[in-house]
Amino acid sequence: MNKISIISLFIMVLFFSCTDVEENVYDKYNAVEFYASSEGANAALASVYAQIAGNWDGVGYAGADNGWYDLNSMSADEQVVPHRNTGDWQLDFARLYLREWLPSDLIVTNAWNWLYKSVYLANLAIEQLEVADATPSKIAEVKVLRAFFYYLLIDDYGNVPFYTENNMSVDQIPQASRKEVFNFVVSELTDNIDQLLSTKGGDYYGRFNKWAGYALLAKVYLNAEVYTGTAMWDECIEACEKVSEGGFELHSGAADDSNPLGSQYYELFGDVCPDDETILAIYTTVDVVGRNIFSIRSLGGTDGTLLLGYSSWNGSVVPQDYIEKFDDNDIRKRQFRYGTNPYGPQPAGFIEYSLEITNLDNPGADRNAGARNIKFWPAEPMNSGGASNDFPIFRYADILLMKAECMVRTGNAGGAKTYVDQVRERVGLNALANDPTLEDIYNERGFELSWEGHRRQDMIRFGTFTKAHGMAPAVDNHFKLFPIPTSALNANTNLTQNPGY
Amino acid sequence: MKKIYHKKKASGIRTFLLILAITFNPLLTDLFAQINPTSKEKVQQLTKYEGIITDQNGDVIPGVSIVKKGTTTGTVSDFNGKFSLFANEGELIECSFIGFASHEIILGPTTMLSIVLKEDILGLDEVVVIGYGVSKKRDLTGATSNISSKDFNSGAITNPLQQISGRAAGVNITQVGSEPGSSPNIRIRGITSLIGGNDPLVVVDGIQGNLDLLSQIPPSEIESIDILKDASSTAIYGSRGAPGVIIVTTKKSKEGETYVEYNGTLSVDFLADKLEIFNAEEWREQANIWGVPNSEDHGSDTDWYDLLTQTGFTQNHSVSFGGGANNFNYRASVSAILQKGIVINSSNNNYIARIQATQKAMNGKLQLTINVNTNIRKNEGSPSNVGRAAFSSNLITNAYVSRPTDPVLFEDGTYYSDENVFQYINPYAVAETIVNENETHNLFGSLRADLELAKGLTVGWFGNWRKVDLNSGYYAPVASTLTSAIDNSGIANVTTNLTDEKLMDISLNYKTSFGKHKLGAMAVYEWQRQAYQGHFAQSRGFINDITTYNALQLGSISEALQGDVSSYKNDRKTVSFLGRTNYSYSDKYLLTASIRRDGSSVFGANHKWGTFPSISGAWRISEEQFLKNQTIITNLKLRIGYGVTGNQQGLSPQQSSQLVGESGTTYFNGDLITNYDVTQNANKDLRWETRYQTNLGIDFGLFRGNLNGTLDVYTATTKNLLFNYTVPQPPYPYNSIVANVGSLKNKGVELSLEYRMINTKDMSLTVGGNVSLTSNKVIELSGSVDGIDVNTDYVSWGYNSYLVEGKSIGTFNILENKGKDETNSEVVVDRNNDGVIDQGDQSADRYFAGSVLPKYTYAFTPALRYKNFDLSMVWCGSGGNKIYNKIKKDFSLFENLGKSNLLKSSVESGLYTSDYGSDLWLEDGDYLRFENLTIGYTINTDQLKYVNSIRLSVTGNNLALFTKYSGLDPELNLSGGNGSGYDAGIYPRTRSFSVGLNVIF
Repeated sequence: MNKISIISLFIMVLFFSCTDVEENVYDKYNAVEFYASSEGANAALASVYAQIAGNWDGVGYAGADNGWYDLNSMSADEQVVPHRNTGDWQLDFARLYLREWLPSDLIVTNAWNWLYKSVYLANLAIEQLEVADATPSKIAEVKVLRAFFYYLLIDDYGNVPFYTENNMSVDQIPQASRKEVFNFVVSELTDNIDQLLSTKGGDYYGRFNKWAGYALLAKVYLNAEVYTGTAMWDECIEACEKVSEGGFELHSGAADDSNPLGSQYYELFGDVCPDDETILAIYTTVDVVGRNIFSIRSLGGTDGTLLLGYSSWNGSVVPQDYIEKFDDNDIRKRQFRYGTNPYGPQPAGFIEYSLEITNLDNPGADRNAGARNIKFWPAEPMNSGGASNDFPIFRYADILLMKAECMVRTGNAGGAKTYVDQVRERVGLNALANDPTLEDIYNERGFELSWEGHRRQDMIRFGTFTKAHGMAPAVDNHFKLFPIPTSALNANTNLTQNPGY
Repeated sequence: MKKIYHKKKASGIRTFLLILAITFNPLLTDLFAQINPTSKEKVQQLTKYEGIITDQNGDVIPGVSIVKKGTTTGTVSDFNGKFSLFANEGELIECSFIGFASHEIILGPTTMLSIVLKEDILGLDEVVVIGYGVSKKRDLTGATSNISSKDFNSGAITNPLQQISGRAAGVNITQVGSEPGSSPNIRIRGITSLIGGNDPLVVVDGIQGNLDLLSQIPPSEIESIDILKDASSTAIYGSRGAPGVIIVTTKKSKEGETYVEYNGTLSVDFLADKLEIFNAEEWREQANIWGVPNSEDHGSDTDWYDLLTQTGFTQNHSVSFGGGANNFNYRASVSAILQKGIVINSSNNNYIARIQATQKAMNGKLQLTINVNTNIRKNEGSPSNVGRAAFSSNLITNAYVSRPTDPVLFEDGTYYSDENVFQYINPYAVAETIVNENETHNLFGSLRADLELAKGLTVGWFGNWRKVDLNSGYYAPVASTLTSAIDNSGIANVTTNLTDEKLMDISLNYKTSFGKHKLGAMAVYEWQRQAYQGHFAQSRGFINDITTYNALQLGSISEALQGDVSSYKNDRKTVSFLGRTNYSYSDKYLLTASIRRDGSSVFGANHKWGTFPSISGAWRISEEQFLKNQTIITNLKLRIGYGVTGNQQGLSPQQSSQLVGESGTTYFNGDLITNYDVTQNANKDLRWETRYQTNLGIDFGLFRGNLNGTLDVYTATTKNLLFNYTVPQPPYPYNSIVANVGSLKNKGVELSLEYRMINTKDMSLTVGGNVSLTSNKVIELSGSVDGIDVNTDYVSWGYNSYLVEGKSIGTFNILENKGKDETNSEVVVDRNNDGVIDQGDQSADRYFAGSVLPKYTYAFTPALRYKNFDLSMVWCGSGGNKIYNKIKKDFSLFENLGKSNLLKSSVESGLYTSDYGSDLWLEDGDYLRFENLTIGYTINTDQLKYVNSIRLSVTGNNLALFTKYSGLDPELNLSGGNGSGYDAGIYPRTRSFSVGLNVIF
């Protein structure tokens, strides 16, 4: 029996020595350790920027589909993807244009999720950069980025959950009023912009420098009346002037045969956004960093093959009423492709799109109905999933028009004229005959900034958003805000839905 | 006539019997006393007894074990049923053989014995495998199904599960389509988990694994399959036991025989059915009616479905041989399962070799068993998911998309494509040009050592190591017409996945009896590690297609992207302590209790260890005196059991921690750099799912055992339900978290019956069948995670099917069709009358319309033997579920006619367009299938010198299908998992006819 005891003892020892069930991680980093390193803290900053380029699944600011850009551009009067009577295209886009969206809609939800993921990453980066004792300009840079996301949040959704530290439970995160968040954004920007570097382009291309910071602040002030009820036109002018200190000028609008649309103006929307005018751009290389689908989504299938070498999507079109406001001499009108003699290449068999679109949902538009937009003439590398055009978030022409608008609104239309004229003359138009009216400014913004994601905000500020336009009938004022997504309301029962939904 | 019995459920179980006999050998002496030379002298004083063993028909039975009761001393009857044994007069001898009641005799003065064994009709002496041990059927206290090879379905079997389809109550085996290499689905007692995994644990000769382990053993080498269904049986597997356990025992050789066996089937596979779509002429007619411009008619007449299908062919060949001498036996086999699919360019070839050997030593006190199994599997097929943006499915389903008026080739001989159609694909081009193949190498080996330490006390060691290497290659050339291939100028990739699984256990077994009390106890320590590792490489931009995926370096480096090269490694460890004790009194009252404690690396830091107890008891009422004097009830046993089991398979490694991984590339500071991102919401509380199950069962045998049956009733509740619960964003970076919050409940009734209507020497007729009723309910999906309330409800779980608290899993919540308007656009009911049709998940316009899960399944398995002929059938079916026929919706709207073909049935509905996925496409899923008909003939081999047995058979599979479902086949993914319950296009189900040959030399 002794042997049994020995064997039993041996087994007992084995029992207690082999009970290790700790987890080993071989192919990822531990989050806490990673972000505590200086490389990790930098990566945290970079990962906030990574949020901005548009990509599949409705993430990013602009460039791809089903995200923030589609929400803010298609709900305005500048573009729509109609359902086609060939059975193509879901109704989501047409419903945005017709202002028939619901809180359960995918695009409404995607934009929300993208923005809050961005806020989370910004909070994380701030926390980690502070731990890593990073240079103040970096911390300031992320704070400005976070202010940018909160500005987009209140612009679309009104009263939104507000938090600045990730280590919080949901009941500690109040749904702050639009005004409270507005105040936070303004104070965060005014506290941090001056700590940003003033470097333009180069390594700073695509990053928030001081000038981009002021451009953002100007945007926030420009819409202050919408957000808080109190206009801040003078503050906006002041911020615009700060931007001007960065030494920006309008990029040339000179003729250029090497450009498919015949003008250097279109370089603004090409492979790299030029430094002279662009204040903040999204770097894009298709399949590597984001993508730009805007022309490929717009052109018809065979046109894509003829013009670009890749079959395209026959998707987004420009409503007739929007195009008809353009002057025929306007270089900017070349971005629209329709009719028998469109500007740009006309290879044999190119599609002659009709300007008219008779139906958006049922039975849908004819295959070749609707003018197409090739403002972002696809830059290489490209394929049928997009091209590599960078995207201007802020550019100087916008700042000039913002400044002009504020001056008109504060009774200085005479002073505003020069800015509007600069923008017009660059694209082959005459200076205005008279001092600009608010309507002139509104239209000029439409001409200059079409398909750049500003239109919904502008329409709301000018009071035209809920009125009838093109194929869209007038709607109730509550559509000025998007609904808080159903999924967010379900997950957090403390949230209150925007009125009217 | 001599009969060969080793086709019966004998050999595999016999090894266990022997192990048992050795293990529980009640010798008083200690280990080394056996080698005492005095024992040899004793032998010389014994009398030599000789004998012959026959069955009631007078046929001899080889392989019967003849043992001095209570010892390991004994022998085995030879091929002629004869044996000889040295023993003393007055000793008690026990003769036992599977399928026969064991027989005891006290040796008298006669040294020539003639022993007749009676067939054990009730099978109560059959030994069945339970977790970590064996048990006689009479001693079982839990709910199990035991199927031996004589009851297996035959025909063109490519996966062991096909052999037991319809054979066990509560075990639902479904096959979606007949794609070569695809495995059937199995659910034991319904769905127990949402994302935690519902596949049962598979144990093959002690080696634990997932369902894929089954495709690595040859179906013809399986002796028996035992299925543990209730928690009192599976709790011994602790945190892997919740979805049930399948125990496979392979065939083994007996002492005293040698044999060579060949098993083969050849099968021709045809399309069982196809959907009716327009031919070119009909398409043109419809195009005229619906105003499709002539420009969409490309002037051809192509039957795409016909072009992509062929007659399939399946072959199984297996050669096995083995033998046994004193203290040693072995069995070896080589098998090939070769399938050519009914879709062109799809095939699967599986080659398996295995060897198993058992050696005894130390006078029978030590037994070693070694098992080595290797297989190589080659699979070729079309990509599983291709298509246009508007419709993607498997390749064959894309044959419905292509217009019958489209040509296959352009005039220049290249594959036709139409750029006016967004992401047009030419399915024939895809089938012909895409290379998509993989090869799996699988090797596993195990060693078991059992040593008897003292009377009734055995210590055992078991270890196994399994390696699975999967290599796959893919190449899509521009000619394939696939958008991804065109965009990349050809794209090629290779993938390697390596799996390494090790398991080791040490066990102690003790068994004793005193008076009418019998007691058994077992304790096991077990350690397992599963490691997963692999890499992937991809290249784009090829100037020609010559090298396919064989030379990635010929691609263009300038087109390389982040993610084109990747690798991974992770592992999971589980450490377990388990024990079980059995007690019986007078063989009437049986009690089993077990407990297991599992620790696992995949559990979150706050819950590293879980405990899983069970208890069950049985009362063999038929052993009571008051039932002795009647003839109606031969067997009656009442069982009751309760157990707690867990499920950890749904937890993948690294799921509980906050980790950082690669998330594409970003542009920062003038450079393209790797972007890092947190990979998930962390959850330190992550743990196993817990399932509490109660089972009440009755086993009965009536009318001399001619009517046998089992009835089980159970209720099972899964708590700590794993799911991707919705959490608020903010503050979480992702809007869901894997956590243990909700609960599910299953209830069910299972009945299986077998009635021997005729049982004579020349003829027998047995009618068997089973029926299972299952109901299921999501009790709650809400609760709290990390102190935060989560409100998860109305989770989309497929097309229009949802998880809704208080409803069955996969409840359809759908819009109601109300006809069409004057524009032929579908109209649906606005249930809340607000003028808007909301298609959101919780929309008040939706209504509940049944569930994806069948409410009942049933099978009917009659078998007839007349002289040398035998005939068996399997009919099986299920019902009570709904199917969302997405294919019908996708191919019924005339707005698509210009770019697609449509179903002929679209003419009846005449819908031009629809914004909805309404109940117009929801259909009943009830069906009855004539699954298998086998007719066999056993050739009389008495005159043949070297041949022991020859059997010829013909089998028809899937001979008829009775259903109202309008799609291809209602046997779809009905597992209840996410994405089940709808028809998005399947690989067609075949109807096959096969001939089989079995020869034993």
